[in-house]
Amino acid sequence: MSNGTAKMKKPVVKVTPSSRFSVNPKMPSIYQSGAPVKHNQSIMNRSVTGSSSRRSVVLQADSKLLDKGSLQTGKQAIQVFDEQGNDVTPLPLFHPDPNAPPPKQSNFFASQDASMITAPDFLSTISMYQTGMNTSFAGPFTRSIIGSSTVSKSSRSTVESMNEEIEEPGTKRVISLSLSDVQIRREEVKDIVTEDMLDKTVDVYLTETETLWILDMPATMISTDAEEAETVKLRTQAYVELCKNRLGNDLYVDRMMQTLNDAPKCKEVQCEKIIRAEAATMATIWDMYDTFLAEEASKEDNKTTKVTQPSRILSRPEESKGTDAMSIISSASISSLSSLGVDAESIISGLTKEEPSDPELILKSESFQQNLCVMERIIMENIFQPKLADYRQLHILKDPDCKPPEEDGIEEEPTEVTATTTPTLDRLWSFSCEVTKGHNVSSMAWNKINKDLLAVGYGEFDFRDQKGGLVCCWSLKNPMWPERVYHCESGVTSLDFSIGNPNLLAVGMHNGEIVIFNVQRQEDTPLIDSSNCFNKHTGPVWQLQWIEQERGASGDDKGDSLISVSADGKIAKWYLRKGLDCTDLMKLKRTRGDKSKKPTGEKERKIEALISRQAPGMCFDFHPKDANIYLVGTEEGHIHKCSCSYNEQFLDTYKAHRSPVYKIAWSPFSPDVFLSCSADWTIRLWQQDLLKPVLNFSSVNRAIYEIMWSPKSPMIFGAVNEERVEIWDLDNSILDPTIVSSASPGVTLTTILFAESTDCVLIGDSDGQVTVYKMKHLTSGITTQANALDDLIGSTLASQL
Amino acid sequence: MFLEETLKRIQSHKGVLGTIVVNAEGIPIRTTLDNSTTVQYAGLLHQLTIKARSTVRDIDPQNDLTFLRIRSKKHEIMVAPDKEYLLIVIQNPSE
Repeated sequence: MSNGTAKMKKPVVKVTPSSRFSVNPKMPSIYQSGAPVKHNQSIMNRSVTGSSSRRSVVLQADSKLLDKGSLQTGKQAIQVFDEQGNDVTPLPLFHPDPNAPPPKQSNFFASQDASMITAPDFLSTISMYQTGMNTSFAGPFTRSIIGSSTVSKSSRSTVESMNEEIEEPGTKRVISLSLSDVQIRREEVKDIVTEDMLDKTVDVYLTETETLWILDMPATMISTDAEEAETVKLRTQAYVELCKNRLGNDLYVDRMMQTLNDAPKCKEVQCEKIIRAEAATMATIWDMYDTFLAEEASKEDNKTTKVTQPSRILSRPEESKGTDAMSIISSASISSLSSLGVDAESIISGLTKEEPSDPELILKSESFQQNLCVMERIIMENIFQPKLADYRQLHILKDPDCKPPEEDGIEEEPTEVTATTTPTLDRLWSFSCEVTKGHNVSSMAWNKINKDLLAVGYGEFDFRDQKGGLVCCWSLKNPMWPERVYHCESGVTSLDFSIGNPNLLAVGMHNGEIVIFNVQRQEDTPLIDSSNCFNKHTGPVWQLQWIEQERGASGDDKGDSLISVSADGKIAKWYLRKGLDCTDLMKLKRTRGDKSKKPTGEKERKIEALISRQAPGMCFDFHPKDANIYLVGTEEGHIHKCSCSYNEQFLDTYKAHRSPVYKIAWSPFSPDVFLSCSADWTIRLWQQDLLKPVLNFSSVNRAIYEIMWSPKSPMIFGAVNEERVEIWDLDNSILDPTIVSSASPGVTLTTILFAESTDCVLIGDSDGQVTVYKMKHLTSGITTQANALDDLIGSTLASQL
Repeated sequence: MFLEETLKRIQSHKGVLGTIVVNAEGIPIRTTLDNSTTVQYAGLLHQLTIKARSTVRDIDPQNDLTFLRIRSKKHEIMVAPDKEYLLIVIQNPSE
């Protein structure tokens, strides 16, 4: 019992039920706790009854406890003596406040001296109460105890008041009575006070309450200066020694314990591996579009599948086995080689297409070929870009990374005063390859629709040098390799593209055969040839032309028909009817010259005994405006004007040339004027009405193989003779050609062709080369009027008169 | 046959440094360059082609990429793309 330290001691007075009867009616308060109290009480009872010795306890000890100060009114303090007579008076637990309210309790306590409490009981009760009590427990029991004895009112009140007194300090005292009673009591007292002492000044003292130790953990270390330092050191030392001595010491026994461990059991749990895969997708616009289209296409799969349908899925090259995949010219559309629109359709990936990724198959696929084609062209473009640009009259792109070579190296541009620049021919490039090497260029023709496509026929003029002929279709985009190569049995002497069906190329050959190729195909075999025709030509077909005729004969609604003239004197019109068949438009009869009569009389008769009655026709040309009228040039040198309506008679004959007329050309600008060239070294300008030529042009003593009017300018025409190219500008001079360009030695120039929209001229030679020249600085061009030629003619005629 | 001729012709043109045909997986089918260069070109150009095609089609889904040319200081790379293959030609046009 920590009596020494703890100051909270509760006054314990207990009255046992057995001793109650001898107790003064004024009973002290009874401090009770709950169940243990009862127990103690019974113990107390027993102790009380069992004990032989009794101690008299003067209840006035309470009063001593409560009113220690001035309230000692001569009462005797309670003194407790044990058996040996020692004073074991319990020390007061409570020291009341000196300002406590006036003690009525003193009387109360004074009269309460009859309790008989044994000392040990008292002690025990003290100890019991010290353990802590509860007011609630105390209440009912107290009351019952009090009630069981004869308690006067005053005693009760005193008990209550005492309780109140005890309770007042507000500390750990436990009041036996219930709180409510106490509170009521208290309030009464307070009221009395305030009324009396309203005017008095009340001194209020505030004091600090006692320190409450809630937890005290003393430090395990103390400073060496502390008082206990020595003792602590001694103890520490003793402990160390003890530890040393512990081993053999009997006081210390080592004991061990073993825990029995059961055998561990491994348990494994395994789940299937969770395979994680990341999936990501990007929804692009075209992706959605493709998906949507695929759904639609699967619906339409049952319906007609036309190759030309815009749905790309269906138009795979499988269906168009080479017929249209490589179409150079499609009759249905104007898509030209230059446009990659057609290519795009088949290159676009088909969704339903299952093409194995076999490398060989890839290489053989149509799209690959097409791509190759395109690639080649682009390479060409890179190589030939300046030339091509020049050709097309586009701005030549200067490669920014390389020094631009002087393309105009031949020309005098860099050092030239631009005022006077002589017209020249600027060589751009030439179409040639190994295949064509050595062949003589006999004819050239532009495609009617695709202006970039050029058909060149290779064949010897001379019957002695006949070898296999060749037809090559060149594209401007690829000057190094022809798009199509067709081999023919005999030399090609003429060719022409059809107008109505631009993919048809008619070729006339030296053996009189006419074949028609479809240039959409690659194969060598022609679409049709005239070998089965009865009326076919027996001599070289010197000229072919597709003519648009307005009047359609029965079945001929296409609008153009093929006209040919050959050395057997026939002008034939061909049409397709179960094969190529022809009708004769005209048979060229030999006409006698006015002057000369051969003494042999061979030519006098209309019906001659010569090899043939016919005069070999060399060339013809239909009137640009009137498709009925055409001119024919013969080997005799005569030019006949004929009409389609008459196939026996000529309308007119123009005689001037003395050797075969190689070419006749109507002027595209003046409707009445035409030009003719022949092997007699002259070019003659005619007017339709006059039987005599208006103008004669001659420059060198060479046969002039071909002439052609410039499609752009009315006064310019080109002529090619064996050794040079001449560009005549009638505006400039009518005596001399304006531009002259000589051929390389050993090569004879054979054909000339003007390019439609540009200032370029193509010259074919006997070596198989077709050279593209650009005419530069021709002063007369657009400025001249169409009727300038007429003016010229008029003036010439006038001067002749 | 025509194909072989064309390929040969292309390879022999002026300024052409190399020709590569690569299939969809990036394996070269035909090439005139060495293997490492080929693989490098194929890989890089394949990605670029995909990106270019995606660009073109994003703008207009009905459109598609037909040809791709990259002009650099030293040469020009021309790519003809297709679903199953890539045709690549490297040319030095200024030679």
